[in-house]
Amino acid sequence: MARSPRSDDERSAESGKRLAADGGSVSDADGRLSDLTSFFRERPRLRTLAIAGPPYGLLVFFFAIPLLAMLVVSFQTDQIGGAWTLGNYVDFLTSETYLTVVWRTFLLSVQVTAIVAGVGYALAYSIVRFSRRTTLLLLLVILPFWTSYIIRMYAWINILQSDGVLDSILNLVGLPALSLLYTETAVLIGFTYVWLPLAVLPFYASLTNLDADLIEASKDLGAGPIRTFLSVTLPMTINGVVTGVVLVFIPTFGSFITPRLLGGTNNVMIGMVIENQFKSAFNWPFGAAIGMVISVVVVALLVLATRLGGGLFGTGGETS
Amino acid sequence: MSAIDSVTGPFERFAQAHASRMASVVIAAVLAFLWLPIGVLVFMSFADGGVLSFPPEELTLRWYRVFLSNDAALDAIVTTLTISIPATGITVALSTMIAYAVDRYVFTGRNWLQLLSTLPIIVPLVVTGVAMVLFFNGTLGLPDYVSVVIAHVVRTIPFATLVILPTFISFDRGLEEASKDLGADEFETFRQVTLPNVFPGVIAGGLLAFTLSFNEFVYTYFVKGSGDPTLPVYIWNQIRYNVTPEVNVISVVFLAVAVSMVLAAVSLTRVDLIARR
Repeated sequence: MARSPRSDDERSAESGKRLAADGGSVSDADGRLSDLTSFFRERPRLRTLAIAGPPYGLLVFFFAIPLLAMLVVSFQTDQIGGAWTLGNYVDFLTSETYLTVVWRTFLLSVQVTAIVAGVGYALAYSIVRFSRRTTLLLLLVILPFWTSYIIRMYAWINILQSDGVLDSILNLVGLPALSLLYTETAVLIGFTYVWLPLAVLPFYASLTNLDADLIEASKDLGAGPIRTFLSVTLPMTINGVVTGVVLVFIPTFGSFITPRLLGGTNNVMIGMVIENQFKSAFNWPFGAAIGMVISVVVVALLVLATRLGGGLFGTGGETS
Repeated sequence: MSAIDSVTGPFERFAQAHASRMASVVIAAVLAFLWLPIGVLVFMSFADGGVLSFPPEELTLRWYRVFLSNDAALDAIVTTLTISIPATGITVALSTMIAYAVDRYVFTGRNWLQLLSTLPIIVPLVVTGVAMVLFFNGTLGLPDYVSVVIAHVVRTIPFATLVILPTFISFDRGLEEASKDLGADEFETFRQVTLPNVFPGVIAGGLLAFTLSFNEFVYTYFVKGSGDPTLPVYIWNQIRYNVTPEVNVISVVFLAVAVSMVLAAVSLTRVDLIARR
């Protein structure tokens, strides 16, 4: 590779290389690579660029710019490159059907988030405070998260469909069948099932980082377990709670798989409307506009969460 | 204060007396909720009668044989692997670079790099999926295969970085100083000192990236045109249009891949690294 013309600086690097070469493990290829590294060492900015540049570039070009492209397309008429228009937004925001869908999506997301936060926090608290086999339990909780999302939904189809596993069991003990598939309950169960492992992680992290002495101090001062929880534990772990809430609410709000597979025709969510624009209606700019509507909700929530002190970067680990 | 105490008192005493037992009940109930559906799925893959009959009359390996002679399903696995393997390689390289840069260097835009490598987790998949199909297919006109691999890289980078970065941060930099004092240059130090120390974390990040990519559905569904579905897309079509008991068998394949990958990753790092950062 290109040798540095600044041979004064080069010499020290060269001697370093020779020293290492005396160890006998440096081949020609290594030598050339060493030249390359000394070339970069003398140019720290270039070195940083060489290491941070490729991932930076990929994320900007293939993640950030597509999102901007979506913004641009959302202002075009019914095909990409069409005339500029506000029509997509006007159509969406004046349609009672779509606004109902957005409202329903919001309510469902709030319910899912509340259920998952409640159950997940109770689980994380139980594991951290009362169990000695934390590693095994945590592993058992997060393992389902790494299996296919669709498969996890399919498992619930098996269970909830009429005459499925649940109904058969109810039948065996003499109870009436529920036929829960294609109801809102099914959607809530499905979401709770997929997000619970994800939410437990930040709860667990913030609870582990909580100084146990504080809890002891609270009890020494005469507070019972419930007061200690409400006045010490919960406030001290609020960052983890906020992070967990964000991690559950946002993907629920944008979801289309769960309502499509488990929900009936009464449970249309906004993500399904987008899917429909791209997979059957083929009105991409309109789909892009709905994507922007979701993004606005998401950004608003993130701003709110940051105000409340959620750790966006740390997924909840930085409570201390 | 005492008025409040007199109301909460009985609850406090109850919580004090039964806290440990309640915790056990919560743990048992949630683990049952998480694992029973998976158990049902595995069990039903051996069921004779098919999807609709529970409990099954007889257990059989028939659906496994059907699966192994189903070219469409096997092709879907091959298609998935031709995407996941290169995507995982690229992701591991890029995530290691992110971890190295963020851990070592102070540079303008460092916070932006961290934000960018976290955001794909936060932006709803459907939004990014739509943005990608608009830009990759609409604006750039990239070939299907390239689009999908890039999409998988974007999807997996945040998770791989989440696992790899802590191993860099917890690594004792004194060892690197020692190596450099002994005359090794930066590349040699990286190869002979840093890399062996962070290697388990890098491998674990790769295993999780592969698992995620193997399961990836939403981006693929939007970005990839028709034809040659990946396994998750194949399953999606099966579930939506014609469910056969074979889907249960494919589910077991997914489970086996996920469980073995995650267990391998966990044995290489500490499980709470996935939770903490």
